[in-house]
Amino acid sequence: MPSLKAGIELPDEPLIRIRARRAFDLMNLREIWEHRELLYFLVWRDLKARYKQTILGISWVILQPLLMTLVFTIFLGKLVRVQTGTTPYPLFLYAGLLPWTFFSNAVSSGSYSLLASSQMITKVYLPRLIIPAAAVSVRLSDFLVSSVVLILLMLYYGVHLSWQIMLLPVLGLQITVLALALSALLSALNVKFRDTGTAMPVILQVWMFASPIVYPRSLVPARWEWAYQINPLTGIIEGFRSAFLGLPINRQGLAVSALTTIVLLIISLLVFRRMEDDFADIV
Amino acid sequence: MKPIVSVRNISKLYHVGRLQGERPSLRQAVTSAIKSPFARLNGRSSDDTIWALKDISFDAMPGEVIGIIGRNGAGKSTLLRVLARITKPSGGEIDIYGRLGTLLAIGTGFHPELTGRENIFLNGTILGMKVKEIKRKFDEIVDFSEIERFLETPVKHYSSGMYLRLAFSIAAHFQPEVLLMDEIIAVGDISFQEKCFAKMRAVSREGRTIFLVSHNLDSIQNLCQRVFLLNAGRLCDEEDPQKVISIYVNEKGRFENGLNKS
Repeated sequence: MPSLKAGIELPDEPLIRIRARRAFDLMNLREIWEHRELLYFLVWRDLKARYKQTILGISWVILQPLLMTLVFTIFLGKLVRVQTGTTPYPLFLYAGLLPWTFFSNAVSSGSYSLLASSQMITKVYLPRLIIPAAAVSVRLSDFLVSSVVLILLMLYYGVHLSWQIMLLPVLGLQITVLALALSALLSALNVKFRDTGTAMPVILQVWMFASPIVYPRSLVPARWEWAYQINPLTGIIEGFRSAFLGLPINRQGLAVSALTTIVLLIISLLVFRRMEDDFADIV
Repeated sequence: MKPIVSVRNISKLYHVGRLQGERPSLRQAVTSAIKSPFARLNGRSSDDTIWALKDISFDAMPGEVIGIIGRNGAGKSTLLRVLARITKPSGGEIDIYGRLGTLLAIGTGFHPELTGRENIFLNGTILGMKVKEIKRKFDEIVDFSEIERFLETPVKHYSSGMYLRLAFSIAAHFQPEVLLMDEIIAVGDISFQEKCFAKMRAVSREGRTIFLVSHNLDSIQNLCQRVFLLNAGRLCDEEDPQKVISIYVNEKGRFENGLNKS
């Protein structure tokens, strides 16, 4: 067309190459990094919208683990009398419920994130991993708020903070990676198999009781130790408890759970990558 | 001149069961995995697949406005979705020498509880803009959409016209080198449609390429220098857009009959 004025210069290399799906593709991490502003805005949207529609607003973030602590203190602390050594049961409980609340909220909203964003997935291109990552990040911000509140409470009550508190960022990173891995995996499965979402509450409930959250690890029979240890949450939850309450660190437990977390992350990303090309066609 | 979009032998195969929105449960997946060797033996597998796009090739030049027409189910939206990277082609190659803007629906990712201002940033980043860019274009976007008085109002209180104007305005100011649009200008009132047309012509004069899917032949004639006709996944691309449109108009009856028979 001679009448056209080309006001733009074309690059030598195409910016976008579209090819048919190959048997094995790696996750394009650079592309995800380039979309970090989008991640930020998706998180910001959910936080902003959430607090416009609730009465108690941000206090829910603190209330949820607090109410759970109350319930378990009554039933397990007072009635069953779970023994937690020198640590008072409510404190023991809260230090475990705090990271657990984050984890279970992140995984349950993460696993529905792709379905909830079907309008976006079918109308615009974006690295789809951003969607479960945003769901996890929203819960992470809740977790940060509630952790700060706990630390302030401890200071107020004169509990001494120990050097173990320095471990919190590492543990926070690890539990976030674990939540992200599971959210990616389950959200992808949930697009294709809707019963994944239905099974989630049951799986999370079982997982909670299979982790040292409402009872100490010492209650687990010795012959099940190895199986208990494979659960990546075991090391993480105990780590959090040690960090908050200044208890001795179980190095081996942390190392094992870091390893299982990384293995889970790799598997999840591979599955997600393999399934994401079909999302727009089946969601 | 070098093409900005180069499409080579693109095909897209759909499994009809999936197209109809049937979602397999875990149990069904297991049972069909057991059954599938038998299904293949019976030779049924070819029956429940559809080529939504079959062996499509073309080059698009900078500044071209390309209209895509065809009956429902001819593959128009699938072509846009493949170009937009929303879904992967089953075969073929596409190279795009520029940024892509996708306007397949109005207000993708708009949150009803958020204000107009907040949604400009949200929708802008979803479309692929950088925050810096949105800030620079912010006043222009607001001006064009004529919603400045309602900038701090949640968009759930917007009329559908305001909603549309804001959404189009954000996408139109994104200024990608290639813009994909699906039937969206059909919605606004006449004066805003005129404004959209003018904007699209301006975009094309800058050397940007627009793909426009529409059933409205008037707007296709009005805007496009080139027209593609899709029929059952195949592409008809004639030199003269008028000729393509008349093929579509004249043969519409024949297509329909042909499809009824199959």
